[in-house]
Amino acid sequence: MTDVTQEQATPVADRPVVGESFNVVGTSPGHHDFVDKVRGTLMYAADWKLPGMLFGKVVRSEMASARIVSIDVSAARELDGVVAVLTAEDVPYNAIVEHASGGLGELTVPQPVLAADRVRYVGEPVAVIAAVDQETADEAADLVHVEYEPLPGVFSPAESLAEGAPLVHEAGNVLVNWRLERGEVDKAFSEADVVVEEVYQTQHVEHAYLETEAGVGWIENDVVTLRVSTQVIEHAVEIAEILGLPANRVRVIAAYMGGGFGGKEDTTVEPYLALLVWRTRKPVQMVWSRQESIMASTKRHPFTMSYRTAAAKDGRILGMECDIIGDAGAYPCLSARVLFAGAALSTGPYKVPSLRARSRAVFTNNVPTSAFRGFGAMQVVLGYESQIDAVADALGMDRREIRDLNYVEKGDAVTSGEPITTAVAVAETREKALARLGPPNPPSGPGKVVGQGFGNSMQPYGRTIWFRDHASAWVTLQSDGTLLIRSGVTDLGAGQAASLCQIAAEILGVPLDDISVYIGDTALNPPAGGTFATRQLYMSGNAILRASRKLRDQLAPVAAALIGTEPDDLEWRAGTVSRRTGQGELTLADVARAAQDAAVDTSVLYTWRAPAGRFDPDVGQGGTFPDYTFGTHAAEVEVDVETGAVRLTKYAACHDVGRSINPMRVRGQIQGGAMQGIGYALSEECVMVDGNPTSTLFANYLIPSSMDAPDIMVDIVESGEGRGPLGARGIGEPPIGPPAAALASAIENAIGRRPTTLPFTPERVLALLDQRGGDDLSHAEEAQER
Amino acid sequence: MMRTQVRLQVNGVEHELWIRNDRTLLNALHDDVGLPDVRYGCNEGVCGTCTVLVDGAPTSACLMYAVQAEGHEITTLHGMADPTQEMHPLQKRFLEHGGAQCGFCTPGMLLTAKALAERKPDANREEIRYELVGNLCRCTGYTAIVDAIEAWMKDDHAEDESPGATGAASSAGADAVEAGA
Amino acid sequence: MPNDQVGLDPAERVEPTSFEYQRADSWDEAVELLRIWDGEAKVIAGGQSLVPMFNLRLTTTAALVDINDIGDEGGPRVEAGDEGPVVVIPALTRHSTVLASSIIAEHCPMLQHAVGLVGNVRVRNRGTFGGSVAHADPTGEIPCCLLSMGGSVTLRGPRGTRAVAAGDWFRTYLTTAAEPDELVTEVRIPSVAGLSWAFEEEVRRFSDFATVAVAVQTRQGGLPAIVLGGVADRPLLLSDDLVDPLRNPQTDILAAVAEAAAGSVTPESDVHATGEHRRRLVRVLVRRALEQALHPDSSRGDLR
Repeated sequence: MTDVTQEQATPVADRPVVGESFNVVGTSPGHHDFVDKVRGTLMYAADWKLPGMLFGKVVRSEMASARIVSIDVSAARELDGVVAVLTAEDVPYNAIVEHASGGLGELTVPQPVLAADRVRYVGEPVAVIAAVDQETADEAADLVHVEYEPLPGVFSPAESLAEGAPLVHEAGNVLVNWRLERGEVDKAFSEADVVVEEVYQTQHVEHAYLETEAGVGWIENDVVTLRVSTQVIEHAVEIAEILGLPANRVRVIAAYMGGGFGGKEDTTVEPYLALLVWRTRKPVQMVWSRQESIMASTKRHPFTMSYRTAAAKDGRILGMECDIIGDAGAYPCLSARVLFAGAALSTGPYKVPSLRARSRAVFTNNVPTSAFRGFGAMQVVLGYESQIDAVADALGMDRREIRDLNYVEKGDAVTSGEPITTAVAVAETREKALARLGPPNPPSGPGKVVGQGFGNSMQPYGRTIWFRDHASAWVTLQSDGTLLIRSGVTDLGAGQAASLCQIAAEILGVPLDDISVYIGDTALNPPAGGTFATRQLYMSGNAILRASRKLRDQLAPVAAALIGTEPDDLEWRAGTVSRRTGQGELTLADVARAAQDAAVDTSVLYTWRAPAGRFDPDVGQGGTFPDYTFGTHAAEVEVDVETGAVRLTKYAACHDVGRSINPMRVRGQIQGGAMQGIGYALSEECVMVDGNPTSTLFANYLIPSSMDAPDIMVDIVESGEGRGPLGARGIGEPPIGPPAAALASAIENAIGRRPTTLPFTPERVLALLDQRGGDDLSHAEEAQER
Repeated sequence: MMRTQVRLQVNGVEHELWIRNDRTLLNALHDDVGLPDVRYGCNEGVCGTCTVLVDGAPTSACLMYAVQAEGHEITTLHGMADPTQEMHPLQKRFLEHGGAQCGFCTPGMLLTAKALAERKPDANREEIRYELVGNLCRCTGYTAIVDAIEAWMKDDHAEDESPGATGAASSAGADAVEAGA
Repeated sequence: MPNDQVGLDPAERVEPTSFEYQRADSWDEAVELLRIWDGEAKVIAGGQSLVPMFNLRLTTTAALVDINDIGDEGGPRVEAGDEGPVVVIPALTRHSTVLASSIIAEHCPMLQHAVGLVGNVRVRNRGTFGGSVAHADPTGEIPCCLLSMGGSVTLRGPRGTRAVAAGDWFRTYLTTAAEPDELVTEVRIPSVAGLSWAFEEEVRRFSDFATVAVAVQTRQGGLPAIVLGGVADRPLLLSDDLVDPLRNPQTDILAAVAEAAAGSVTPESDVHATGEHRRRLVRVLVRRALEQALHPDSSRGDLR
C-alpha cells in the first residue's frame, strides 16, 4: 500500500464537464444498499442480537427545570430481571463538552450524560437501566423514583433574554453571539427609496426518521464496541472520555441508517449503551421508543428572524439588517454552528452590498436543538425570499425581474466578504421550476382560491473551512479483478456508499457488481468524517476519485507494458484494460496479477484535504463555506377561504447539482427534501407548553402522508461547476430550504396576505384571511373564476 | 400464566414460541422468529414499518399480541418474496424507480401495494396513494414509490411468474417528470 | 458500589407485570370470563385503540379477554323491523368488511363513506365496528355516523341482553352506557336507503382523527339529524329547536342553522386546533353539509 497522499484541492472546472462522456457516472443503477433494502434483508442497528444480550432503557426527567433532591432506584433494582440501574455517580466522566463553533467564541457548557443535581429539560436522562428483556427494562424505568424541587424556568428565547431571567446555566443564557457586518449599512438605509421590515417565526421540528435511535454494544478484546445508527462514528473519542478510557478502547460501527437528517449527528444511544456494556460486561441493546425520540431527541431550532431590507427604486437592494434569535434549548449541542449558518446565509442568493447580520443561540428549558437537514441555512430562506417579494411589491416590480437584478453572480462576495467561485445557476433553476409548474388550475369549487409561488435558496455544502476538513478512502484491486473500497463514511440512505462505487467504477473500469464497499467502522476504515453538512460526496467523493485515479496511474505502466503501448493510451472499461483502439485487451485480473508480480502496489489509501481558511469572529469577515448549491421550488396551492385549509396541488423543484453522479438518487434527494420542507411549512410542530412536550406521538406529530402532497416534479441542472468530484455539488440538504418560502408565496398569491409564522396551519391562514376582510376576497374569487 | 406456548404460522413455516402475553406480534417476529423485515417504528399503528399480512390483509404487527396470531397465516416481505429467490417484479420496480432510500419503510410499502393489487388490480395513481396513507416515508416524498407501484400495476402480470431482468436497472428514466407533467 | 444487581438475593425480587390472556369463542363465554375477573379484565377486539395504550404504558390490566374468535357472524345483514328494514352489524365486523359491504352501501351510504376515512388500511382490516362504537372517541367518524342515523347498540352481560338507543349511548370521553361487565354484541341501524346525507370533516393530516366532523342524515318525513364530532366530550346531536328552522330549507336558513350550531358548542383546544377554530369549523362544515344533504344538485364532489 502506498503512503498517505495529501493534496490541496485543485481549482474547479479545470475542464468542461457537461458533455463529457462517462460510462457509469450519470447513470442510475439501483445497486448496493438498495438491493438489500427492497429485499428487506438489510440489518439495521436494532437487527443485531448477541448471546446473553441485555436491553437498555433511559429514565428521563419529567420536569423542565428542577433540582434533583434524591433518586431512589431500590424498587427498580428489586424487579426480577433487572441487571443494572446506573445514575450520575456511576459515570466516570459525566460531561459532553461541545465546541461546535470550532473555538470561535461560544460559552463552555458541559452537558451531563446523566443529570446529577439538576435537570434542565423534560426528557433529560437521569438514570439508565439494563434488564433481561425490554418489557422489564421499561417497567423498571417506571419504578425509579426521582424527587424534584421545581426551579423557575425559561421557555422561550424572549423569556431567557429578559432582565433578571432565571439562568439555565451559570455561564449565562446566551451561548453564542455572531456578528457579520460589511459595507455602510446606516448609509444604505438612509439613502433607500423603500425599506421593508418583517419578523418571521419558525418552530421546533422533529427529524422523524422512521428508524428511531438504536444500537447494540459489546466488549471484545477489552474494547467497547458499539454498532449503532449514527451519522458520526468519530464520537468514539467522546465515548471513551465518558468511560474514562483511552481512545483506542472504544470502537464505533455505523449500521446503515433508517434515516438521520442530522438527528443522528450528535450522540444518541451511544453513551448509555457504552456505560451499560462497560458496567455489566455483557452485550446490551438500546432502542429508543418513538415517543421518547419525539420528546427528547434534538430538534430543529425555532428562529425568530427580524429582517429590514433597503432598496433603491430601480429595484437594487442596497442594504439589509437581520437579527436572528435561535432557541438552543437546554444544552449547546451544535447550536453555535447552526446559528452561524443562519447569519452567514441570511441574504440568500442576492447581492447585498451593506449588511449587518447578528445571530444568537439562547438557552431555554426546552428540549435541546441541534443539527437538522438545512442546518440554520434553511430557516432563513423564508426570511430572505419573503423580503425580496415584499420589496418587489413595494416597488410594483415583477418578482422575477427584481431577482434577476439582484442575484449573486460568480465572483461576487458573500456575507463574509469572500467571493463565490463557482457558477450561480439560480435564474435557470427558477425558470425551469416555473415552466414545470405550468399555468394555474382553476379552483375546484366555490370558496376556494388558487395561488402559485416560488422560492429560491442558497445552501452551503461542506464544513466551514476553518475546520480544515479532510476525508480518506482506500481502494484495493484484488487478484481476481474485483475491487474493495474502505471508507469511514456513514450512510443515511442517500447513497453515500453507493456513489463511491460509481465514481471508482468510472475511473477504474470495474463493473459495479465487482465492487464491495465497507463503511462506517472506526477500527477498519480510514476516517471520512461524519455524514453531515452535505459533505460526503464533496469530501469522500473527492477522496475516492483521487484514490482511484492514483491506483490507475500506478497500474497503468504495468498494463501498458503487457499490451505493448504507452500508459496514456489505455482505456479502462467494463473490467478490462485495452488500447484506446480496443486492441490488446486485458482483464483487470491480468493487470492485478502482473502488478503483484512486478511488486507494484494494487492498493491506495488517499486523504483528500479541503481548502482551509480563517474566519475572524470579531470583524465578522473571512472564509466560511467551501461552496454552495442553488435551487428553486415552485408550488401551487388551493386555499379554502372558510376553513383556512391549504391543499398543495402542484409542486416542482429544480437544483443545480453541478454534475449528477446518479440522477435517480439526486431526484430522490430533491423529492424527499421537498416533502420534508412541505411538512415543515404546513403541518409539523413539536408543541411545548412550559417545556412540556404535547405532541410526542406519531399520531400527533404530523409528517406528511402519501395523500398530503402531490407528485414532486424534478428538473436537474448540471452547471458542471461544483467542488465535488467531477464538478458535482452536494444535494442532501439543499432541497429542504425552498418549500416554506414557495408555499408562503403561493398562499399570498391566493389570499393576498403573506404568512410569516410557521407552520402555515389552517388557523393561521384563516387569521390572515380575517385581516384581509371578506369583500376583498370575494373579488379575488371572482377574478379567479373568470 | 403470564406466558403462553404459541404456534405461529409465518411465511409457511411453523414456529413454536414460549412468550410473554404482552409481547406483540412485532416483537415476536422481529426478535424471536428473527425477521428483520418487520420493524419497530412507533408502536402506535401509525407508521406502517411493522406491516405484515394476516390471512392476506395488511395489519400492524405492533397492535396485535403474538398470542392472538395463533391460527392465522402471517406473511412478511420474506414470505411475499423469498430473499434466496429472484426478486419479485414489484421489488425490481422499486429498484428502477428509487422507491427505497433509507429502506426502513420499504417492506411495509411492498406488502401494502401487493395486497392492493390483489384486491384492485387496476388501481390508479390516486388509489395507490390512498392505500399507502398509513405507510409513512420520510425520505422519498412518496413520488418514486407511487411511480414504482404504478409501473408494476401496469406491467403484464404474467411476468410475475417468469424470470425477468436482473435487479440493477440501467436507467430510471424521467419518471417523476413525466408523472407530474 | 454501583447500582448493579449482582449479589441481590433472588428472594427479594419482584415479578415483572404482564397479563393473563384468555380467548372467548362465544358471547356467553366472554361474559363469563368478565364475571370471573370481576372488573380486572379488559376486552380486546381489533385492538387498534387499546393496544397503543398498553404499548405506551398508559394503562394495565390483570387479564385480556380476546373475543376475536367469536367472529363477525357473516358481517352486515338486513332484518325486517317494525318501521322498515334494519341493518344489523355484528360487533366483530371489521371496518374493511363494512367498507366493502353492498348492504351498507345501499342502506347506510354515509357509513360506508365515513369508514373509508377511518385510519388506514391496517386499521380498517383489524379494527372492528363494535370496537369503535364501544371506544366512543368523540372525534371518530363512526360514532358521529351512528348518532346521526339512530338505531341502537345491543349489549350482553350477566343480567342478559339489552339495547341502548344511539342517542343514549355516548356519555363522555371514551365512556358509554355499557356497564363494565357488558359487551357490545351488535349495532342495529334503521335503513336510510335512498335518503340523502352528507359527511364533512377537517383533518390536519389525511386519515387522522377529525379536528371537526359533521354528519347530516335526512329522514323520511322528519327533520335531518345533524351530529358534530370533535367539539365536546362525545359526539353531539343537535337539539330539535336548533334544527327546527330547516322545515324551510332555504340557503340563508342553512347558514343560520350552522351559525346556531356553532353557538351551541364550546369546544376545547388541543395540539391540533384551538376551541375557537373548531367552533368556526362547525359553522362552515354544518352549512356545507346541509347544502350537500338538502340541495344535493349543487353538492361538490368528495375526495372519495
